[in-house]
Parts: sequence; C-alpha cells; structure tokens
Amino acid sequence: MTTSENTVARLKSESKLRARGNRYEDFSVGQHFVHHWGRTLTESDNMLFSTLTLHYNPHYTNAAYAAAHGHPATPVNPLLVFNTVFGLSVEDLSEIGGPFLGVEELSYLRDVYPGETLYAASEVVAARLASNRPGHGIVTWHTRGWNQRDEAVITFKRANLVRVRS
Amino acid sequence: MKIAALTSGDGYFEDFEVGAIIRHARGKTVTEMDNVLITNMVMNTAHGHFNEDAMKKAAQGIFGQRVVFGGINLSMVIGLAAQDTAEQCLRELGMDKIRLLSPVFHGDTLYAYTEVLEKSEGDRSDAGVVRFRHYGVNQDDKLCVDAERTVLLKRKSYWSQR
Repeated sequence: MTTSENTVARLKSESKLRARGNRYEDFSVGQHFVHHWGRTLTESDNMLFSTLTLHYNPHYTNAAYAAAHGHPATPVNPLLVFNTVFGLSVEDLSEIGGPFLGVEELSYLRDVYPGETLYAASEVVAARLASNRPGHGIVTWHTRGWNQRDEAVITFKRANLVRVRS
Repeated sequence: MKIAALTSGDGYFEDFEVGAIIRHARGKTVTEMDNVLITNMVMNTAHGHFNEDAMKKAAQGIFGQRVVFGGINLSMVIGLAAQDTAEQCLRELGMDKIRLLSPVFHGDTLYAYTEVLEKSEGDRSDAGVVRFRHYGVNQDDKLCVDAERTVLLKRKSYWSQR
C-alpha cells in the first residue's frame, strides 16, 4: 500500500465518529431545545432567495418600492425567514431523520430587515411510532424564531419522520 | 414613481373570487443549484440534501440520491404562485396545513395551482385578507406540495391609481 492508502486506512480504522443529530428515543414531550448559531440575514440573501424562488413581490427586490410602502428597508421575504429558522433547528430535530412531513399554524409576527439576526428554539409537542414506516417515529415540534432584540418573528409547528435507534 | 405601474393590473383583493382555481403560467425545473445553494444558505445541516455519496450508499436510503429540501419545494411553489397572488401583497400573514406529499429531485419540474378559499374584509379600508390553497405538481402530475397561505392584499379601489 502507498503511504496515502495507509493513512486513509488508519483514519478509517482508528477514528471515532463525532455523531450529529438526534433519534426518536432522544425526544420526549415538553423537551426544549435552543438551537445553534443564529443567522444574520443580508440584502443579498433576500435578493437571491426571492429571485431564485421567482417570488416577484417588489417589496423584497425594490428598495424604493418598499420605502413607498413605509418600510425602512426592503423587508426580508417571509419564506426566507421560515427557511432560516427551520434550517437552524435541523441538527437538533431532524438531521438524521427522514423527510419533513408538514407544518401547521405558521404565523409571521414581525417584519425582518437585512442586518437583523435570527435565533431559533423548539419544544417537543408530540412523539409516536410511525405505523406505516417501520424503524421510524413521527415527532412534532413547536418552533419559534426571534430577532436580536428578543422580539418574536415567527412561530410554527412541524412534523418529521425520525429514525429509531434500535 | 407611480407604484401601481410596476405590477400587473390585477391580483388585487377585488380580483379574487372564492372558489376560483388559478393555473399559474410558469413552471420551474428545480436544479442542484437551487437545492444546494438555498439548503446551505439557510444552514440546514441535513446532508441528505447535499451529499450525493452518502445518499447512494445509505443502507436505509429510500431515495438513492440527494433530495430537495422540503422548505424549498414549498417556497418554489409559493413563488410560482406569487406573480398572481403576491404582487399586490402588503403582508404575508401565515401558512397552515402544509403537506409535502412526494419528494422532489434535481431536474424535476414544479407547476403551481391556487384555489381561493376565503376572503375577509378586515378592518383596513385599503386592504383585505385572502386565504389561498396552493398546490405544487411535478412533471409526472404527482402532487408534491399542498399548503394554505393567508395574505393581506391591496384593494384596487385604493391602490390602483397610486
């Protein structure tokens, strides 16, 4: 074997996986997670997201138009707010699960503007084994997102397939 | 600047009739760029959306390839419906009963339909509230996204001459 092959073989045999994500057994109703990192949303995030998703409401892509409607800046597309708060919650909730099944009772509570920072937290509201998908459970969480001033910006309930450990 | 000149002449509160079903003109083929870019941008860490190798090798893998993040499927369908239902939108109020029914893969094409569920006058003379049900259908006529969305729409009587 070459030196490189030896190195790779050693890495694979001697390394220990630093695992990420939670399984079905890790969730109990009432459990609370404060999710990692936070995310400052920029003007370019908003422009790129709104144009890639063909979301042609000029509020998100035309600063003069937004100003004419009383906004201090172009508001961030609420679907980007949703996807960002969702994204921050994934490692704790659904990273090694399965597909995300649905969302209920989503409310946008406040406008978000470029330069603002979003944070996310969730609480487990339901957990049961999936009858039609052996090896998986269905977990439902109540997720909320807030800004750098601790003002609530979004709230929703999400359900996901989550793999069981055994 | 005349605001109303920048958008279509319809799509105002008065233009929607409860029960109407709209087929939106454009479709979008969801690409690797859309999925990986937006998934990574919003820091969704589930590598089933951006690690092709892991998805091919996974013993329990049900897809065998990267799958598009459901939040993007939803956003793309709302986006496709947006030109007819969001151009005159003053505020997105919320969504409900969102279901992701069929997975979307790179290269799949999404089309959108919208059903007008409910209108309410609300308390503003310049705007009213409309509840829509949006549907996302792929190139093989499979329903991928089903979602309700409630918005505050401009009234034509107030905004169309501004």
